Amino acid sequence: MSQLLNVQDFTLGFAGRDPLLNGISLHVDDGEAVALVGESGSGKSLTTRATLGLLPERSQHSGTVAVRGLNTLTARSAELLGLRRNKASMIFQDPRAGINPVRTVGDFLTETLVRWRGLSRAEALERAVEQLEQVGLRRASELVHQHPHQLSGGMLQRVMIAAALLDSPELLLCDEPTTALDVTTQAGIVKLLRDEQQARGMGMLFITHDLNLASSLCERVYVLRNGRVVEHGSAREVFLAPQEEYTRQLVGATPSIELDRVPAVPVAVEGEEPILSVDSLSKHYELPHGDTLTALDQATFTLPVGGSLGVVGESGSGKSTLARLVVGLETPSEGTLRLGVVDRPDRPLKARERKLLAKDVQIVFQDPYLSLDPRIAVGHAVADVFRLHQKQGRRQAQDSARELLGRVGIGPERFDAKPRALSGGQRQRVALAKALAARPRLLVLDEATSALDVSVQAQVLELVEELRDQLGLTILFVTHDLAVVSRLCSQVLVMHQGRIVEQGPTARILADPGDDYTRNLIGSRPRPLWDRDVITTP
Amino acid sequence: MSVMDAPAGEPRSTQRHTTTPGRAARPRRLRFVLGKLFSLLLTLFIASLAVFFSRFLVPGDPARFLLRGRSPKPEALVEITRQFGLDKPAWEQYLNWLGGILHGDWGRSLTYRQDVSDVLLNRLPTTLQLVALAAVFITLLGLLAGIIASLNKGFGDRFILVTLTAAGAVPPFVAAIALVALFAVQLGWFPSFGSGDGFLGRVWHLTLPALALGITYIAFVARVTRSSMNEQLVREHVEVAMSRGLTRSSVVVRHVLRNALGPILTVSGVMIAGLLVSSAIIEQTFGLTGIGQLLVQSIDRLDFGVVQAIVMVVVTAFVVVNTVVDLLQPLIDPRIAAGTETR
Repeated sequence: MSQLLNVQDFTLGFAGRDPLLNGISLHVDDGEAVALVGESGSGKSLTTRATLGLLPERSQHSGTVAVRGLNTLTARSAELLGLRRNKASMIFQDPRAGINPVRTVGDFLTETLVRWRGLSRAEALERAVEQLEQVGLRRASELVHQHPHQLSGGMLQRVMIAAALLDSPELLLCDEPTTALDVTTQAGIVKLLRDEQQARGMGMLFITHDLNLASSLCERVYVLRNGRVVEHGSAREVFLAPQEEYTRQLVGATPSIELDRVPAVPVAVEGEEPILSVDSLSKHYELPHGDTLTALDQATFTLPVGGSLGVVGESGSGKSTLARLVVGLETPSEGTLRLGVVDRPDRPLKARERKLLAKDVQIVFQDPYLSLDPRIAVGHAVADVFRLHQKQGRRQAQDSARELLGRVGIGPERFDAKPRALSGGQRQRVALAKALAARPRLLVLDEATSALDVSVQAQVLELVEELRDQLGLTILFVTHDLAVVSRLCSQVLVMHQGRIVEQGPTARILADPGDDYTRNLIGSRPRPLWDRDVITTP
Repeated sequence: MSVMDAPAGEPRSTQRHTTTPGRAARPRRLRFVLGKLFSLLLTLFIASLAVFFSRFLVPGDPARFLLRGRSPKPEALVEITRQFGLDKPAWEQYLNWLGGILHGDWGRSLTYRQDVSDVLLNRLPTTLQLVALAAVFITLLGLLAGIIASLNKGFGDRFILVTLTAAGAVPPFVAAIALVALFAVQLGWFPSFGSGDGFLGRVWHLTLPALALGITYIAFVARVTRSSMNEQLVREHVEVAMSRGLTRSSVVVRHVLRNALGPILTVSGVMIAGLLVSSAIIEQTFGLTGIGQLLVQSIDRLDFGVVQAIVMVVVTAFVVVNTVVDLLQPLIDPRIAAGTETR
């Protein structure tokens, strides 16, 4: 029998442009889990899609991509259908986008069975229910009649995996299947994938940008950059002893919890007001059908001047609500919020108050693609802030903007560039510069590095660190990533379902968590396969 | 409903975070339907106010108009005014009128000297048939052109798009003349006048008028179909369906067209309801005796009873069609019923 997946010298591109993939060679054997690691734009998704014959329109390609000897680049469409139906299945990144929202979960699962496996609707549904139970979903017989929007992201990803397994594939392709999920959910999905892959002896190609994740699931790793394989080998070798400069950088930039690098808690100055003190702060939302949702429940904490506080939690934990309350985008339902010596009024802010607040508190959002106005040149965006808050003239504001942008690593040649001409990392620097131009005392970062590649995230974090030390900024960092917190924040606050479950110095909480949930959060971080024997997972 | 992920024992959270459609959703669904029906009635009530009282803004005395050509004796004028109830205060006239409508009595026509409902019933079938046939053409041809355009990128798409833009810019009466010149005079396939007898005769006679009436809207529906499908085609769930080995046609029908239906339905609903009004010109051109023509004549003759009745019929049709569309939307996209998506 020929090799399961064999890619030889695969090149793909569009006429008149540099190739997107350049001479890629890789292979996956039966029963083997292989990771394809790279940052956005490295070509890992293109490679995997080509395995199923899903090529971009009007692309030009050469080389071979062979699944069990069938070259998908030259195969006829009937052969491709056969391959997709019987040999290889794919799990996509975002299950919420990947499952048709207007059809039921059961319809999604059974459509392949009914259409060409010749099962009746009832038989197919029975198989689907069995498969759902096998991937760890309860009440499967009810789930199949529900629509995707009624399920959580983690449940949907299990549905997606169940759908892939229903076709009993020999090759399972996974395109960042856990990126859209929370850490603890990710841990469950990774375990499920590993178990199924081992039990069925499937070959697996696992795409990810996260080296930690790759090492927790796969024996072999290919590192991709700009459409080329720069390094490959066993996961352990690549991770612990990288040969190439790029892989070294990637490993270095991958955040990890290092307790000795946690910044020290600043000594509180006697008699100085904390910059932010929050007491029994709650936020409720009225849902359309009469229920109330408590997004934030009785939060109490203080943040001293010059401190850095990490707010950690999963989606729905209330961490973003807290950030939005602090910057005045939401009005608290109960409790007090005190900024310096000013109490926040119990109503939506007036325009004048908002402007006054914006001078002290600024926020940087998660997605720099959405938070910058696409029509305004970045230099002018920053200069506008100087004019508004520092009352500077046009000329002076432009000079200040140029200087500040230089400081965050955006050269003067980019001053007139529109956001679309910049990369994600550069945009986030601009967003940061815009926040800093108001010379705030408190900077709120709401998942500000989550949408960025690891190497870019490392640069932005370094920049924030530098600015914190130079400008004496106080930082409130909202994130789901404990490793990022351990690097940047001296104090941490763990949130779960709207409540603060634990708070204190970062070093102590990470070393000796007092709450089950915090332990769970720390335990859910992916751990390399070769470490499994030494440390038992909780 | 936003559902959050629970910690490690995430499958356990199934119980807490999901609602079974049967139990929790039923009262919400009922409330949704009742709400729509209530807003339907409210709209009709407000429309009836506007329709009735707008008569008082139009210059001219209907009673005087009736006696045109004759020397208006003051007694005769008073008599006619009294006979049609025009001497009573406006609000009382309104209540009488509304009460009459609820009993199926639309009042008397000033020009035809018979009940408005009789005048209307003579004309309404032709117009309804015309509009129905036009609606069929709009839906079929519009969908077809849109689907073909969106699935054939490149020349096919561009050709259809240019044709549609041209067709959309043609006023109905020009289209009517062109269609008659080609299909009735040159080729002799279809008649150019009258409304025909029997079902097939009707369809045969109404084909050209319906096409002329619908041509702008066909272009409209085709464009909406095309862009709505294009939007769906690049969605990830379509790629997932492809990756699972579904044939192209089942991907298009089950995952692209099905999901694109929402906007298409909304636009077609609004337009088809609007056809009732715009049919006047076409009726005139093809010599059909429908309500469009009647409306124009009646406004001319200040026959306010007929005008009010026609406007109320048109408004009702419009509001009812849109309510039906609204009620269908949750069946097409279950997220609308859950209140997480609005359209």
